[in-house]
Amino acid sequence: MATSYAGYMGKVVELDLTTREVREYPWTDEDRRKYIGGKTMAAKVLDTMLTGREEAFSEENPLIISTGPLTGTGAPCSGRLSISALSPQTGIVASSNCGGTFGYFLKKAGLDALIIRGKCDQHTWIEIDNGRFEFHSADEDGLWGLKATPSQQRIKELLEQKWGAPRSFGQMVIGPAGENLVLYSGIISDERAAGRTGLGAVMGWKNLKGISVTGNHEITVANPEKAAEWNRKFFRALRTHPLTGRQLPRMGTAGLVSPMQMRGMLATRNFSAGRYDQFDKICGETLAEKHNIVNKGCVSCPIRCSRTVDLDGKPVKGPELETLGLLTANIENDDLELVIRLNNELDELGMDTISCAGTIAWAMEANEKGLWDNGLTFGKADELVGIIEDIAYRRGIGEELALGSKRLSKKYGGVDFAIQSKGLELSAYEPRRAVGMGLGYAVSNRGGCHLNGGYLVILEGLGLFTDPQTAHAKADATMMFQDLMEAIAASGQCLFSSYIFFPGILITRPNSALTTTINKAIPYIGGVLRLINKYPLAVQMHMPVLPHTRAFELITGMKMKMGDYMRAGERGYTLERQISTRFGVSAKDDTLPKRLTDVPQDPNDPKTKVPLDKMKRSYYNARGWTQDGRPKVSTLKKLKII
Amino acid sequence: MAHVNVIALGLFRLDTGLHELSLEANKGKDLYPQLLQKAHETKPDTTVTQADINGCIVLVNGKTARKGTKLADGDTVHLMSPVCGG
Repeated sequence: MATSYAGYMGKVVELDLTTREVREYPWTDEDRRKYIGGKTMAAKVLDTMLTGREEAFSEENPLIISTGPLTGTGAPCSGRLSISALSPQTGIVASSNCGGTFGYFLKKAGLDALIIRGKCDQHTWIEIDNGRFEFHSADEDGLWGLKATPSQQRIKELLEQKWGAPRSFGQMVIGPAGENLVLYSGIISDERAAGRTGLGAVMGWKNLKGISVTGNHEITVANPEKAAEWNRKFFRALRTHPLTGRQLPRMGTAGLVSPMQMRGMLATRNFSAGRYDQFDKICGETLAEKHNIVNKGCVSCPIRCSRTVDLDGKPVKGPELETLGLLTANIENDDLELVIRLNNELDELGMDTISCAGTIAWAMEANEKGLWDNGLTFGKADELVGIIEDIAYRRGIGEELALGSKRLSKKYGGVDFAIQSKGLELSAYEPRRAVGMGLGYAVSNRGGCHLNGGYLVILEGLGLFTDPQTAHAKADATMMFQDLMEAIAASGQCLFSSYIFFPGILITRPNSALTTTINKAIPYIGGVLRLINKYPLAVQMHMPVLPHTRAFELITGMKMKMGDYMRAGERGYTLERQISTRFGVSAKDDTLPKRLTDVPQDPNDPKTKVPLDKMKRSYYNARGWTQDGRPKVSTLKKLKII
Repeated sequence: MAHVNVIALGLFRLDTGLHELSLEANKGKDLYPQLLQKAHETKPDTTVTQADINGCIVLVNGKTARKGTKLADGDTVHLMSPVCGG
């Protein structure tokens, strides 16, 4: 089904693994205008396929790999794709975003998205070449059972043997964790991971070990000259911004450990505290001083936030902030080299570092409290390399740890300190010192995710310095950031590109009168934010602080002003929620463990807990949802979802 | 003059080589020229300028402060270049 828009390849394919049938999925230009691409496009497909009775491990659960119209076009930070499905970890719709090269090569193969249904009758890997699909035995080719890097090396060998010469291609694989249906297993592509929500297990259940993709289709751009000129400005804006041009390239996300420690928001000892007394041994500065070799980036990315670090004399991918925090302070481990080793091993086994680390922290506390005799102890991390391997292969206590903290706490007790929401473990930001982030964790469509939750910590102490304890304006800001990031992800761009939304002067002059005034004013502009959220289409212009919309228009030829962009993000976010309500999700699921809502982090300061109920009410009002957390019919109509 | 403990973090630490120092100052801003001098002593090729130090986030005993904040004996002052992204 061809398209009149550039940037898109005009073809979405549905692949049935059971019958090996490949057919084109009907996806029109009207769909493209409403749902853009990426995760919001996937949400629309899932909306048509899921009734609310399906299970994650079933042939009816489609795994959707979708690019955005900007993916692979040369726009800044446009190396992204989304993978979406019903999550085995949360039981609801989930999406995981991934960098690397797969998205670019999927488009070179002539495809915008791939919808994978059914189940292979044997362990399989699939080769896609210019829209041609070839099924290979993962057993006969020696792939099944391999870790992530050897799997990708093996596919490369097989393809090069077949081609007789090297060719560029993209690939994604699962590791042993996905094969063994660990509920928080991820999908690995190059060195990047679609880590969250257990989508690796969906692939594993489908007996699908990996996919390679290549092709020589042209990715078109509507207005090449103007797009190139605009992209140069966009690149320059990212390179000169203090966050995307200096801090992230130099320190990566690991640079956040120190400010989080300073702000009391570094999750420590299973989120029982916000500061770790050994933090200097494990912070981003120490990582940079002792282990960094070089920074790396995805396709078309000027930020290059990924770290390559030294491990046993070999360069390996360094830990991101979430992994760094959760495998150090949160389990009281001050051995940075061990964290690098664990991070590397988790990627090789194909597991989400956040959920795995969060589950281990819960298990340590459960052991300490006598709820579950599992041998795990805070501060004793030496055995964790073996433990995570046991999880991936589901041996010993690994069999149970593979289920995640929500299920384990229901079995053994300790629900109040199972640090998860909707079954997804929280990342390393302790929300009692950033209550807007607490709201985001709770209402996030995919569960306890900082990014899907709107990432309000950027206002609450990591960027700007709005009062982190006040509930004022947090609901409206959460909605605005969620919708903005939804649109960016749907376009195929990295969420980190959104940081240039904040003028550099506010970042480089944190102590100036202007910045101080803005920090103080933000809690009082909730009404303004709500008006913008409610009537985004009134903003029929491009905003200088957000070059994304102009780039979108020049590349696709589709009208996409700021208001259209925000509305598309809102539509995608609301649609995901609407699907989840079919699976029983309501306000009762938008929760945090009692440790975070009922127990002040500082016993002498009752404000240091998350006032969730109050913020939730405001959030549902802002979104046009009922107080039970369901999108109202009027909202669905307004967004043209129904 | 108050005796304070100054801890450098973020790119400010990487670019100056400074970690932890004991300095004397009445106000936060009194620390800045001393820090610039120490930075050049520790790392002669540092490109850090007074403007970079002015742009650091300042915390005194874990609480947000400004360069005019008065300091007391035993205070811990954190200076950190701005950070974001996770």
